[in-house]
Amino acid sequence: MLGYLLRRVLSTIPVMALVALFVFSLLYIAPGDPAAVIAGEQASPEDVEKIRAALGLDRPFLVRFSEWSLAVLSSDLGISMFTGMPVTELIAQRIEPTLSLMVVTITLSVLLAVPIGVIAARKVDSWWDRTFMAFAVLGFSVPVFVVGYLLAYWFALELDWFPVQGYTPIAKGFWPWLQNLILPSIALGFVYIALIARITRATMLEVLSQDYVRTARAKGVAEGPILYLHALKNAAVPIVTVIGIGVALLIGGAVVTESVFAIPGLGRLTIDAIVRRDYPMIQGIVLMFSFVYVLVNLAVDLVYVVLDPRIRY
Amino acid sequence: MHDRAAQPRTAFPAAPALGDVLPPMRVRTGVAGFAYRYPTMAIGLVLLALMLLIAIFAPYLGTVDPTALAPAKRTREPSAEFWFGSDAFGRDVYSRVLYGARVSLAVGFAVAILASLIGLLIGTVSGFVRALDGVVMRVMDGLMSIPPILLAIALMALTRASVQNVILAITIAEIPRVARLVRGVVLSLREQPYVDAAIAAGTSTPVIILRHILPNTFAPLTVQATYICGSAMIIESILSFIGAGTPPIIPSWGNIMADGRTLWQVKPYIIVFPAIFLSMTVLAVNLLGDGLRDALDPRMAKRV
Repeated sequence: MLGYLLRRVLSTIPVMALVALFVFSLLYIAPGDPAAVIAGEQASPEDVEKIRAALGLDRPFLVRFSEWSLAVLSSDLGISMFTGMPVTELIAQRIEPTLSLMVVTITLSVLLAVPIGVIAARKVDSWWDRTFMAFAVLGFSVPVFVVGYLLAYWFALELDWFPVQGYTPIAKGFWPWLQNLILPSIALGFVYIALIARITRATMLEVLSQDYVRTARAKGVAEGPILYLHALKNAAVPIVTVIGIGVALLIGGAVVTESVFAIPGLGRLTIDAIVRRDYPMIQGIVLMFSFVYVLVNLAVDLVYVVLDPRIRY
Repeated sequence: MHDRAAQPRTAFPAAPALGDVLPPMRVRTGVAGFAYRYPTMAIGLVLLALMLLIAIFAPYLGTVDPTALAPAKRTREPSAEFWFGSDAFGRDVYSRVLYGARVSLAVGFAVAILASLIGLLIGTVSGFVRALDGVVMRVMDGLMSIPPILLAIALMALTRASVQNVILAITIAEIPRVARLVRGVVLSLREQPYVDAAIAAGTSTPVIILRHILPNTFAPLTVQATYICGSAMIIESILSFIGAGTPPIIPSWGNIMADGRTLWQVKPYIIVFPAIFLSMTVLAVNLLGDGLRDALDPRMAKRV
């Protein structure tokens, strides 16, 4: 048990090292001269040289990579080319809104999607099932910013139920904070809810056809306990896996959602960095988000052990 | 379900003829039969065909130059002159949306084809060459640990904005999933008795791959390619929307919506029309994918 946990935790180290290698080598494998691209159309040759030196493109790959990795290990992600401030510091300033958005989205989505999937599986081929699954296909097809604008238009501009845009720090109170995050979370969570609801329905359908469910029914267990105690517990592993994998969708979507709802988080930082061609900034953000993603999936693997005592690697 | 054929056939006296018990079977053929059996695929195909026609015949559908500026006619509401209104530069949103179909479909199809081919190659090699398998799959794991949109953003930040670069960036982000899928299929096929038989019969490895392995990857790969097409169109619109995609001069749906971003509270139609077209197109592709999956793999059909 402890051995498995330890091995699983250690196995993330090579994955993270690979991710770091990729993120770093993007500069070198990009077609053309990245220094010239980052400098922009109007840059003078001196500007291009300055950027080349700042990015370290004039020095050998391995030397630069080992320096950079050592720096990353001490949480130094370099200096932003536009603001001249450390990337780590800029990220730390913007982390609260993004983290809040993610936490609220995941909570809301799981609370909505799992019951939807269970009901759809319970009443398979009913109108409930078909409506839910039609919404799920729609969820995969409508981009997050479209959902965002629709929600903002109806529920904020027309009905005035929620603030249109912006963010209130949690320090100013839980309710104002949550109110500002509800619409963005539903927008961001739309595709995530679709994903989780579909996998919940599929696994529940499989579990509900098992012998032990029939036995439980035969001995007179009520439908509620059958669904939530016997079936959902055994369907939990695939559902939790998808909750973990789907975080990749949320990370990509957060960048866009923050722009729609004017939330001053990491997404806005990313978009500003793109517009300003601030590559060290982009590199830092991509690396940080990827590490978070790896760690989320590590957490999922560790949760397996709790959910399914049979799992022993 | 009971297997009637397996039950012993006892001769009942005066068994009713099948025709009296069962309603007459209607065998539907042709287009109607296809639409009846695969409704989702049929709806997807019709919608997709419509979008393709719009993309091809965009110049003949009452459009004007989608890049023509008319500063005197800025932000007009939808009217007889501007069917979908005009944007902040006086450009005709209707024409821009119709021409935008070209960019989205081109990106979607190109990424789907490229990612499938490269993923097929990597997956097959990895499934067959044991020495490479570990390394290749660790590389794919690493790539998959970077959220696809972020990987595309990072790649786009290093290259000049162009449709080709958008296609390349999204392709690189999508390859690992295809490679993993193909490798999985190849590994399970390798254990099949008919592959053992082919090996025992002295068939060379390239022939085994071409004859016995590749044809069996076709069904799952086609389904996956359809989903990739849909996700590529969404990623393109997101990249363009945040300013890291196709150059702003090209009317892609993401770009049109990016132009309407600052005005969305007062002139929502600039965003609404491209949004409807984009969602319909991706929906069409996803319905096609769901239909294909159900048709090609009936065992999967009831599960997901």
